[in-house]
Amino acid sequence: MKFSDLSIRLKLVALLGVSAAMALVVSAILSLVLTVLSVRDESLRHLRQTADIAQDNLTATLAFRDNASATRMLASLASNPRILAALISDDELQPFSTYVSPAASQPDVAAYLAQVAALAKERHKQLHVEREGFASIAYGYMFAVNPIVFDGKTIGTLTLLSDNVILKERISAFVLMQVLVSVLTLVIIAFISIRLQRVFTTPIFHIIETIRTIAQTKNYTVSVNTIQNDEFKVLYSHFNDMIAEIRERDSQLSRLATTDPLTGLANRRNAMEVMQTMVTRARRKQEPFGLVMFDIDHFKRVNDQYGHPVGDAVLKAVAATLTRAAREIDLVARIGGEEFLVLCDNSDLKATQHIAERMRAAIEQTEVFCGSGTTPLKVTASAGVYASIPESEDFEVSLARVDAALYRAKETGRNKTVNWEEE
Amino acid sequence: MKNKVWVWMLLLAAQLCSGVAMASQEENKLMAVFLGRFASYIELPDRGSKHFVITLIDENPFGSLLDDLYLGKQINGKPVVIRYATKIEDIGQSDLLFITLVNPRTRQEAIDYGAKNSILTISTAMGFAERGGIIQLDFLQQQTRIKINHTAALKSNIRIGAPLLSLATVVKGVAP
Repeated sequence: MKFSDLSIRLKLVALLGVSAAMALVVSAILSLVLTVLSVRDESLRHLRQTADIAQDNLTATLAFRDNASATRMLASLASNPRILAALISDDELQPFSTYVSPAASQPDVAAYLAQVAALAKERHKQLHVEREGFASIAYGYMFAVNPIVFDGKTIGTLTLLSDNVILKERISAFVLMQVLVSVLTLVIIAFISIRLQRVFTTPIFHIIETIRTIAQTKNYTVSVNTIQNDEFKVLYSHFNDMIAEIRERDSQLSRLATTDPLTGLANRRNAMEVMQTMVTRARRKQEPFGLVMFDIDHFKRVNDQYGHPVGDAVLKAVAATLTRAAREIDLVARIGGEEFLVLCDNSDLKATQHIAERMRAAIEQTEVFCGSGTTPLKVTASAGVYASIPESEDFEVSLARVDAALYRAKETGRNKTVNWEEE
Repeated sequence: MKNKVWVWMLLLAAQLCSGVAMASQEENKLMAVFLGRFASYIELPDRGSKHFVITLIDENPFGSLLDDLYLGKQINGKPVVIRYATKIEDIGQSDLLFITLVNPRTRQEAIDYGAKNSILTISTAMGFAERGGIIQLDFLQQQTRIKINHTAALKSNIRIGAPLLSLATVVKGVAP
């Protein structure tokens, strides 16, 4: 699995963990280096101190060429199990007295002493002129070489060889401790990372959850809020703005889909949907359902005589009149050029006829202003009326019947309401 | 045949003598060096002298070695003066007295003189330390042995440093 395929939560935990681990590793390496240097210096200092202490007494042995005493004194170094060997050399670097620990490997010690002797030879000036010793760590051992100075003159050297066991033990102990501390720290960091990632992921998941809810419910009225005062607040704000914009656009689209843009009435499609609902409910409840279909009389003449703007004004005026005359539970829709449909929920024929007649009369009284200085225009409308308890859910039957009634109203003189009658 | 054997024996003896002589020369050289080095571990009473006086009484086994070795050298911050004496009275005011006297009686007199005048007495004579001498040097099988009569040193107000004592066989008291 690629890193980019991981969830944000895992990415954050990984990033926090890796960052902390990197810092820990760098810190551990630095600590290790510093510790190694410190332990190394301390070990060498101890070795030099041992050499310095031994040297005070050994100076006399070399000064008086007392090999036996020198050997005896060097043998006292056996109390320090870390000392591998000690060698007193005279001013010509010839061995004067030697001690080798019984626990040490003789060939190794001989090789080490040869290496140190070579170094001492190289540093002859440092030992004999500057009268300064030196100490260092080599592979498998460490050593200190001190000049044995008597009466201001280097009369020989004392070489001490020690193993690196303490150095190795202390470094091993430090590494072990460092590993344990690192593991413990990583566990704590992992725990903290898991906690910290929530600071980032919780707002993100909140937005994701909100988007999911909106997608499922189409409810664009929801919004997201946060108490955080960071970029997430900006994100939330923009998200809410975007949702508000979608909500507004959705509303506009809905209006456009259901409303006649000229009159503001419900359009045909909306009228058909509402009628299907009303018919279904009326049939289920066995309640009457009324329909009134209006058609403006001689509307073509209006258009032809006064022009389409006046025709549109007439349509608007009629629509407004119908809306005013309708009950709250009625739906007025424009379903064609000059055709209007009124859905009268829970209305029998009498009530529907009453509504239709009231509307027709109101239209007859409506004056449409065609411009200043002209006589207001008046129009009439014919209406077909139909009401019954639906026999089926197919509203097309009712629609055909009310259309037939309208046709009869037109045929029989216009400006009237005609009920559908079975022929 | 007998003559040949004698010749071989003489040659062998000459070789041995030569070896002994060389060893003796080496020992003398070491002894000459040691005399100065002893002084580094010894604290003598302050006599107000401007020199560090080394006096050799009786035979001089070093030849010119001492003079050569200590020419222009200092001991305890003082220029070294080498003196040679043949009699006790010639010792005078010295810091270090190397006694080669063979006669036990005169050697004892020299020891007593040194003790009385706080002089560091040194000798290679057998029983020197037991007799009240302060430092007795022995060379055995090319090894140095130091014997110190610490009691005698303290009686002479001479303090001997621990490093030197740690090397030496310490004798306490004086044999009757």
